[in-house]
Amino acid sequence: MTKKFSLVEFSTHRPKLVLMLAGLITLLFFTQFPKIRTDTNPKHMLPETSDVRVWNDRVDKDFALYEDTIVVGVENDVGVLNQETLARIARITDAILALPGVASRDVNGFTTITNVTAEEGTLKVGPLMPAAPKSDADVAALKKALFGNPLFLDRVISKDGKTTAIYVPLEKGANGAEIADKIREIVAREKGPERYYIAGDPVARDTFGAEMFKLMAIFSPIAGGIMFAAIQFMFRNLALSAAMMGVSMVAIIWSMGLLIGVGLPVHIMSSMAPVFLMAIATDSIHIFNEFYFRYREHGDKLAAIRETMAAVSRPVRFTALATAAGFAVLLFMNIIPVKVFGGLIAFGTVVLRLLSFSFIPAVLTFVREDKLAGAAEDAAQDRVARLLGRMAAFGAGRPGLTVAIAAALVAVSVWGTSKIHVNNNLVAWFKAGSEIRVADTAMNRALGGTSLGYVVVESKDADFMKRPEAMRWIEGLQHHLEKLPVVGKTFSVADYVKRINRVLHDDDAKYDVVPDTHDTIGQYLFLFSMSAKPADLDNVVDQGFTKANVWVQMKTWDADAMREVIAATEAYHKANPLPAIVKPAGSAYFNLVWNEEVLGDMVRGLSLALVVVLAILALDFRSLKWALVAYMPLLLTILLIYGVIGITGKDFDMPLSVLSTLSLGMAVDFAIHFVSRFRSRRADAPDGETVEQSLAWTAARPGKGIMRNAILFAAAFSVMMAAPLTPYVAVGAFIVSMMLLSALLTLVLLPALVMLGRRWLVDEPLSTAAPATSH
Amino acid sequence: MKRVLIALLAGLLPLTALALSGEEVMKKSQAAFLYPGKDFKARVVMKLVTKDGQERVREMTMLRKNIGEAGGEQKYFMYFFQPADVKDMTFMTYKYPAKDDDRWMFIPAINMVKRIAAQDKRSSFVGSDFTYEDVSGRDIEDDAHTIEREDKVGGADCYVVKSTPKAGDADFGYKLTWVSKANFLPLKEEQYDRKGAQYKLFTADEIKDVKGFPTVMRRTMKNVQTGHHTEVSYTKADYDLGLEDSLFSERFLRQPPRKWIE
Repeated sequence: MTKKFSLVEFSTHRPKLVLMLAGLITLLFFTQFPKIRTDTNPKHMLPETSDVRVWNDRVDKDFALYEDTIVVGVENDVGVLNQETLARIARITDAILALPGVASRDVNGFTTITNVTAEEGTLKVGPLMPAAPKSDADVAALKKALFGNPLFLDRVISKDGKTTAIYVPLEKGANGAEIADKIREIVAREKGPERYYIAGDPVARDTFGAEMFKLMAIFSPIAGGIMFAAIQFMFRNLALSAAMMGVSMVAIIWSMGLLIGVGLPVHIMSSMAPVFLMAIATDSIHIFNEFYFRYREHGDKLAAIRETMAAVSRPVRFTALATAAGFAVLLFMNIIPVKVFGGLIAFGTVVLRLLSFSFIPAVLTFVREDKLAGAAEDAAQDRVARLLGRMAAFGAGRPGLTVAIAAALVAVSVWGTSKIHVNNNLVAWFKAGSEIRVADTAMNRALGGTSLGYVVVESKDADFMKRPEAMRWIEGLQHHLEKLPVVGKTFSVADYVKRINRVLHDDDAKYDVVPDTHDTIGQYLFLFSMSAKPADLDNVVDQGFTKANVWVQMKTWDADAMREVIAATEAYHKANPLPAIVKPAGSAYFNLVWNEEVLGDMVRGLSLALVVVLAILALDFRSLKWALVAYMPLLLTILLIYGVIGITGKDFDMPLSVLSTLSLGMAVDFAIHFVSRFRSRRADAPDGETVEQSLAWTAARPGKGIMRNAILFAAAFSVMMAAPLTPYVAVGAFIVSMMLLSALLTLVLLPALVMLGRRWLVDEPLSTAAPATSH
Repeated sequence: MKRVLIALLAGLLPLTALALSGEEVMKKSQAAFLYPGKDFKARVVMKLVTKDGQERVREMTMLRKNIGEAGGEQKYFMYFFQPADVKDMTFMTYKYPAKDDDRWMFIPAINMVKRIAAQDKRSSFVGSDFTYEDVSGRDIEDDAHTIEREDKVGGADCYVVKSTPKAGDADFGYKLTWVSKANFLPLKEEQYDRKGAQYKLFTADEIKDVKGFPTVMRRTMKNVQTGHHTEVSYTKADYDLGLEDSLFSERFLRQPPRKWIE
């Protein structure tokens, strides 16, 4: 007789071997951990060949721009224009210039930024403050130069004179975190009343990376610890609690080990994988839950294990399948980190399922019977189980009301969803009191803005930008953009031309305009280039003067701000035709694009996953009707979450889009357990048990597993709400509400739906739908 | 043993006796490179080339007149042909040793002669990789010069002189100059930034005798950190033409005599 190999049988017979094997494989994956690389550069979210990266790289090249710039803010409440502060600024700038990795030639601060002035008939193009002023007269002269030149205002000096900035571009491949640390050391050496702020893209990115690590290393284990305590409280058996945690740890180690082992870096998204896997691992609580009930009924441990596995195997298998398939769909998306994330969770889910049928039964064989006796459960005597039963009874007893409430919630959610506002703000990922936010807020208040975008004007004709009409067009665009509240400062080649025109004419404000002829513009720019730093012109016009680059500094990192700039630019171009292509670029533009792409990918992936999950449900239940019923908690959970986001006005951003996929792993699980167990109960229920009674039983028994699962998780992940990064706080808050919501929907709404569709659902023959459990 | 030592010392003696100091080498080099003849005229084509090969061209006639000895005062006059929109622009420099230069520029579009401050000799010359100092020379006294070693460049024996600025105002930490022993022209120069990393490389690519003066007809300055470089070539070069002093005046800045600029 050929008996099919049963993993459960094997594991209960050779438990030690199974545990040893699991340990060994885990160790193998664990050896990969030291190779871990993190990549927190949002740029790498999109492949190098993506349009936006190719375009931004070209813009960087055409205009000799740097990818990364650290901004050092210096603030003094009595103003920075005094000898002491200026001496400090000079010393600090000098020390920064000597740092390896800093593109010293293009550092812009008081001592290095190019100034164009006319003194006693002599045109002067050179550094604004070559050395710290030695007298008050020198300081006064500097003040006059600063406030007399619009190129400096809001860039290196605030209108109130209390804040200045040093712009520190980095060479390609330089380590921004290291340089930022060294700058912190440099400013710490200065003892004075000044406050210093270190800001900019590389700082935010590297800080985020460091915090991400902290979260993975500290918060995930704390969450795990709380979960452990909660399980211990529920089952009062150390071996079981350890097994439960062991399963999730093993799955996390295998998955992360695989990710690291194949050489992929840990991204912002994949860093959330351990949390996700822990959530999905709690599914095995159903095994313990059922085991305790079974053991209570029979008192035979091995038999209880076998029966438990037989009873829950189908739902456990299908929840794993649904979850894995849901996440695997993400593999077919475009964004690499989205794919990696999907693959990672799908792999982990499969590992979890494998462990459910081997590791867990093996551990159960070691549980001492005397320890079990006290803790084993009886649904009838259990207060929690009774309460859950009553909840289901409410749904079943007043199905019309329940469904009506649900329908009302759906209506509100759909309305809320329509109000969803897609936005993202990298700096807002840090909490309000964090160094980065403080620096960013201070700099944005004082100066033109820390978020930088470009508007590139491209023509086909050489020297096009020297034409007065092109210059005036750019000047007009700047005026137009500066009317936007989010735009703090713009500058372009037109500013240099106007400046030179004015300076050559004895600083007469009348000449602060674009001159009338091409030749004049050409000669002014040539004159400027005779003494300025090459980068001064290179940053705003290309070599052949066919393209110009308008710098747009924004006071917020909201992706919306760049969106407004683009819309305003398009409107201006439409109203003022120019034979040129006008395109946005820069890091602010990139942030807008990658967020939209990642978000789009996640939403598309989720929609597709929802279809796949429905198909799997139909396959599981061999019934589309049941699949639709079991689908409702998932659909409603997602709708409600989106609805709440829309109604509360919280921006729908990348972390939230990632998070909403977690519902794939949770809500559907609950429903599968509920429906599967309900149907098998119907198949072998005691004669005369009504549908309501069966529903109450399901809610009381497997329902307790569902509730345990939900509470367990809500408790553990409430810790995340104390995380230093807002995406993780959102993860914490939403896991908590999502768990409770989907449990509630499953336990109340499902019975109501079953009652309403009773004739349609229950009275059909169940023969092939659910195989009877072995009794 | 003793005899060997004496022989060795004797062998070294004539060399050390004739050896030049680093400063002397640089003085001779400056004289050979920037001061030959009483005056000099060249048609200059300057190509500014970015890392990925985009070019900008400047074309000019350059006139130079020595006022005193090598290392002394000089007057420069430049007339621009290219780019087209700067045609007729002229630029004049009075160069003084140990003192800021005087510079003037004529802007034809607005018919204005403007004095230009020369506060920063290390700034770029017309947007190229050459600084004003690279073009018209740096005061020998500003740096300490030592002969580091001897070397060959393209078969020519050279002194390798290390020049370190005495004051901290220069943007370079030090430079190494390969000075030909034969004609004292700088064949190669490496400039190092204040962090000790090389950032500029000068090479003399073609040398020709013009009226008996070895003249660098083609040269390149490359910024090794940005990948940008500038090629300068003399399409015509001549010495001792008898340039009058009156040529170097505001009047001729506005209307330079055809015969001198063509």
